[in-house]
Formats: sequence, C-alpha cells, structure tokens
Amino acid sequence: MSKLSRKILVGILFFGLLAGVSIYRYVYTMKARDVQSEQTDFTLSSSSIVNEYLANPSKANEKYLSEDGDSKILSVSGVVFSKSKDQNSQFVVLLKDSVSKAGVSCTFTAETNHNAEVLAIGEHVLIKGVIRSGAGYDPDLELYEDVIMEKCDLINR
Amino acid sequence: MKYKLIPYLILLSVITLSSFRIPGAKLISRDVHINFFSHTALEDISADNYKAIATLEPITGEVVFSVPMQSFEFALPLMQKHFNSKDFLNTKKFPKSKFTGVIANLKEIDFSKNGSYNALVNGRLTIKDVSRNVSEKGVITIKYGLVSIVTKMKLTLADYKISFSKGKASTNLAKTIDITVSANFK
Repeated sequence: MSKLSRKILVGILFFGLLAGVSIYRYVYTMKARDVQSEQTDFTLSSSSIVNEYLANPSKANEKYLSEDGDSKILSVSGVVFSKSKDQNSQFVVLLKDSVSKAGVSCTFTAETNHNAEVLAIGEHVLIKGVIRSGAGYDPDLELYEDVIMEKCDLINR
Repeated sequence: MKYKLIPYLILLSVITLSSFRIPGAKLISRDVHINFFSHTALEDISADNYKAIATLEPITGEVVFSVPMQSFEFALPLMQKHFNSKDFLNTKKFPKSKFTGVIANLKEIDFSKNGSYNALVNGRLTIKDVSRNVSEKGVITIKYGLVSIVTKMKLTLADYKISFSKGKASTNLAKTIDITVSANFK
C-alpha cells in the first residue's frame, strides 16, 4: 500500500469515527424537554380552551399542537373538579367548572406530584404544562373528552 | 328493639349495593396504560401512554378506546420527535387513534360475579386515518364491581401505512411491534 493510499484510508477511518460519535451524541444525549423551565406560550382559563376546541378543533390543533410533539406550553387557570392517580402514580388534576362540557386534565410528574397532593376540590389554581390533545365530543365513547396536558406543575393557588 | 336494627340494615344495603355494579351501566376508564415495544437485534424501543380513555358497555359488550398520540413518552427524546413527525404518526394531523369493538364471547362473562374471564374482542383499529379489522384476546377481571381489562396484541406498522425506507428507524424499529393495554374501569 502506497503512502498516499494509507493516508486516504486513515482519513476515511477518522471521519467515519467522527461521524459515528456525532450521530451517537445527537441521538442518545439529546435532553428531554424541560416544560417547566420553558416560557409559557398561552395563558388562559380551562373553559376558554375547551370552548375554543369545541368551536373549531382543526383551528385549535393548528394553534396548539406541533408536528414534532413539542406542542405549546400552557398556563391554565380553573377550578379543581377532581383529583386522581394514574397507573404511573402521577397525580391527575381535572380543571373544570360546573357549566363546561369538558375540562383540562393535568398530569403531574414524580417531581411535581407533591404540589398536586395538597390541592383541594373546588380550589382555584393556575397550572402549567404541555398540551397533548384537545377537547371534543366522541360519538363512540358518547362522552366529551378533556383537553390533555402533561408535565404539569402548580404555578399558584 | 327492631328499630335499633334499621341503621345496621341501611349500612348493609349500602355496602351490598356499592360492591356490585348494576349490569348495563356504561363503565368508563380514565386510568389506562398503553405500552409500545419494538425489538430488533440493534435496539429495544419502548414508549408509554397513560392518557387514553376507554368505555365498556356490559350489556352489549361494546368497547371503545381513544388514545391521544402525543402522550406516548419515549426514553430518547429524538425517538419521540420521530414518532410524532409527518413521516411516522403525523400526530398533529391525527392527534388520536381509536379502537371500537365488541366482546364476541360476552355470554361467558358475568359482570356481577368476581373472577377473571378470557375475552375475544373483534373490532376496528384506526391509526393515522387508516382503519383495519382486528381480533384480539384479553383478560377481563371483575373484583367487587371494579372491572379491569388487560390485553397484548401485535401491530404491523405497514398495515397502517407507517413505514421507513431509510434512516435509523428503517433498521432499528421492528416491522411488527407489541402493544400492551391495561385499563381500570369505574
């Protein structure tokens, strides 16, 4: 093998290794989105976002959902209608007033659960989280589905 | 003397009535866990979703699941982005997937009696606006009026026009994935 061929081979191996390390770093070290440290995109009441979805779901999806799943971060005010835990032991707080057909279901995290635990039914609160899907009537379920927010934390009460 | 027994009789009635659900009332579950698992020689990929809603009608055997797709959470954020993207699930355009079905062997399930029952559910699964007939087995457990369903199914991505011809997903994602569903009804 000539000197030139050897240099070319070493160069190819070097750039191949560099590309491999870069791809690995890009795929495996990308940090998960920290919803609570990011800025709120919209501040609104539970009834207003529900009404927005019921009036025009396509327009609301266009406004609030993102193609890569990193959808809008909302701060939603409302009355605590119910409180439960999911199968991942995360608190789920439903913000809904007595006249609304649907509410905003807010799922807390292992780190923020303690802030949901202290909330009482009927309390007026402001909760921040990322929206996952909107409200609407489903004829198969025969139910109104709630707006879904996750990665939630309590902003104030 | 007999009047003294009245409070106890009322208490007994309340306990009895709350232990056994009236057959026919539609059951609702907002306590659903769905796991997505893909295995290849290169990588195992798993995602969890805790935000689906389901209904079960004990008299007709009708079962419905509505699944918000952006609620699937992956260990690697980049995979979550790919999953939601236009090329894969296109969750902005199709934010929910749905299953509507009927329990085929409904006569074998006694919703008023504690026990575990094997169930066969036939129905239609809609993902990304593609609907296909599916038939899946599951276990329905009844314990003092509380009903839960657990099912494991295989899902071939190409059946729902989900496929990759290039990139990491084309090699690292299985063509057929495992879906596990667990729902607790009230």
